[in-house]
Amino acid sequence: MNEQQNMLSDMANGVFAELRDTPAAEAWARIEALGLPSLLIREADGGFGGSWQDALVVFRLAGHHALSTPLVEAILAAGAGTHLGFAGRGTIASRSEGRLENGRFTGTLAGVVAGPRADFVVAPLGDRSVVVDLSQARFVEETHFSGASRTVIGIDGARAAASELRIFALGAFARSAQIAGALDAALVMAVHYVNERWQFGKTLAKFQAVQQNLATFACEAAAANCAAMGAAQALDRGDGAFEVAAAKLRANQAAGIGTAIAHQAHGAIGFTHEFGLHPLTRRLWSWRSEFGGDAYWANLLGAGILARGADHFWADLAARTD
Amino acid sequence: MQTFHPQPIAWPDNAASIRAQVRSIIAAHPRHPDPAKRANSWAVADPAFSARLGAEGLIGMTWPKEYGGHARSNLERYVVLEELLAAGAPVGAHWIADRQTGGMLLRYGHETEKQRWLPGMARGAIFACIGLSEPNAGSDLASVRTQARKRGDRWIIDGQKVWTTGAHFSHLMIALVRTAEGSQRNEGLSQFVIPMDAPGVSIKPIIDLTGGHDFNEVFFDGVELPETALAGIEGEGWKQATAELSLERSGPERYLSSTALFLELLRHVGESPDPAVRQLVGRLAADMWTLRMMSATVAAKLADGEDPALEATIVKDLGNSFEQAMPGLVQATIDIDPASTTALTRVLEHLLQVAPSFSLRGGTREILKGIIARGLGLR
Ligand SMILES: Cc1cc2nc3c(=O)[nH]c(=O)nc-3n(C[C@H](O)[C@H](O)[C@H](O)COP(=O)(O)OP(=O)(O)OC[C@H]3O[C@@H](n4cnc5c(N)ncnc54)[C@H](O)[C@@H]3O)c2cc1C
Repeated sequence: MNEQQNMLSDMANGVFAELRDTPAAEAWARIEALGLPSLLIREADGGFGGSWQDALVVFRLAGHHALSTPLVEAILAAGAGTHLGFAGRGTIASRSEGRLENGRFTGTLAGVVAGPRADFVVAPLGDRSVVVDLSQARFVEETHFSGASRTVIGIDGARAAASELRIFALGAFARSAQIAGALDAALVMAVHYVNERWQFGKTLAKFQAVQQNLATFACEAAAANCAAMGAAQALDRGDGAFEVAAAKLRANQAAGIGTAIAHQAHGAIGFTHEFGLHPLTRRLWSWRSEFGGDAYWANLLGAGILARGADHFWADLAARTD
Repeated sequence: MQTFHPQPIAWPDNAASIRAQVRSIIAAHPRHPDPAKRANSWAVADPAFSARLGAEGLIGMTWPKEYGGHARSNLERYVVLEELLAAGAPVGAHWIADRQTGGMLLRYGHETEKQRWLPGMARGAIFACIGLSEPNAGSDLASVRTQARKRGDRWIIDGQKVWTTGAHFSHLMIALVRTAEGSQRNEGLSQFVIPMDAPGVSIKPIIDLTGGHDFNEVFFDGVELPETALAGIEGEGWKQATAELSLERSGPERYLSSTALFLELLRHVGESPDPAVRQLVGRLAADMWTLRMMSATVAAKLADGEDPALEATIVKDLGNSFEQAMPGLVQATIDIDPASTTALTRVLEHLLQVAPSFSLRGGTREILKGIIARGLGLR
């Protein structure tokens, strides 16, 4: 990490830890006062002008602390919407259906994060995005997946603009980074737990089966973190299409293996509402599907590679970093 | 708690031109007619190819020029390695010398030994083998019994090594032996440079389950060595061997051994196979890409002078599992006609048979996970 990223990391670590037990409105005010939502807004537009590697630092920590405040979504939305004239609190959606005509959008947005509290939303439209004003939105329905609440929103001719950004892929990148952070946090919890818990006259950590499972977990967490880093680097180079797909797919798999081992190591206590493991693992299960599950990205990657054929595979891969 | 610290990777500016150089060398070298030879190709020895790479300055790349090296960066070397492996080039003859023996000699070898061996290694003419395992010292390496006793200004070696890859074509071995009589476990061990043609060294082939001959038993019967053969410090052999294992475990060969199968799979299924195949291709590619990032991170840390032993262990464990699982995944997804002689069938049947060794050689899966668990603070 560079100097700036170290500072960002210290700040985010501090504030995210404090916000764990802070009411939502207050938490948002704290985060806004620190300027965090403007991380990806260009300097010319009064933002921080951060890189994707800067964003990785914050997204990863948001995952690590199981942050409830929808900051990650606000950062992505502000990066896409500010220079198009959308102000206030932004968020993102994972799906949209409808039409954008003459600066107006009519249709539905689904999988909107913290919709009722947002001023505008950035949603995928075709393979790009649409930014939609939410001041006159109709909240149609609330959906839930593994503890994560999302909204479906009906839009009838609201102010909107097309964005060149691919918000679906950027959402996938963000979720990869959050998965990486949450896996590291769950790993720390599991290691701590097995070092404290005694059975058969010794700590669980002394059992080789337990050690080997947690080593497997550590490998998966490492893979997710390296994949997220690789994707951030590629986005900063200007084209992360392949890397984001690969990173999300790899992170998804790590989420599956990591959550299973984390719960196994914790025994029954980890299955309780009171114990702090589920804020991580339930988010991990939701993030695994959001912005592209395993099959989605595997199909996309596979189709691209098959179309290029065996003789190009390695050369293409290497050329992406040269 | 110690785990993997990802970092952005600064690939060398000249990576593309290095790749072009390696690709043209491979294209100009006669291709082995059997496609199975492109799988796990760092176990395929072809001295003529090694000599060609040596002549092109692609062996001993990071070593100082005075010993025949080329003073290049570790990441430039990494680019060469991954190109060679991805193409399935037959690099087995010089692989061990380039990867670990040369580096060990540079760090610990007596000046006489450095001058004797290193320039030939860099030319791709001198090959090396690893003398760690013994019949009663596998995972439990600290149980080695082969002995070195001092007689006047000579060392006398007696004992036996086993599973020694390439001993039958190698010119030297670096061996871990016991120098303090009656010492226990990892105390009293030292490393020696042993010429394979020294009187008293004998080699017996061990044929593997495919019928191939890669590894051997090596016997030492009163082998006399000069004082210069002691590598490093007497009694420090365990620490040195641990450093050697770091080199042994850190490279891209720990995840690329089945790449030939992935490529034959792409060739075999064409552009639009059924979704199960398409998804398998996507999954394998995502794994391979991630492992490439991880493996290059280890190389970058080595280049920065860090000792990424734990990171290397993590990459080896994940990488071995990946390259080991691939043959089974392909077999489960594609209808293979065992009676056919297609390239896919040839490569698959070879890898199905050799893949079990991927999580044994260089330290078993269980031993690696033990090291990772120690990093986590569990032992
Ligand atoms: C293809 C190939 C090439 C090789 N080349 C070389 C070479 O060039 N030079 C060299 O010195 N060696 C070489 N080896 C040897 C290799 O290093 C050993 O095979 C390896 O260290 C394991 O030792 P072992 O075979 O005696 O198995 P063992 O140690 O007997 O282990 C058998 C099984 O028990 C498990 N086990 C052992 N100890 C533990 C433990 N404490 N906890 C849990 N599980 C355990 C192992 O993980 C393994 O699954 C090679 C091996 C192979 C397969």
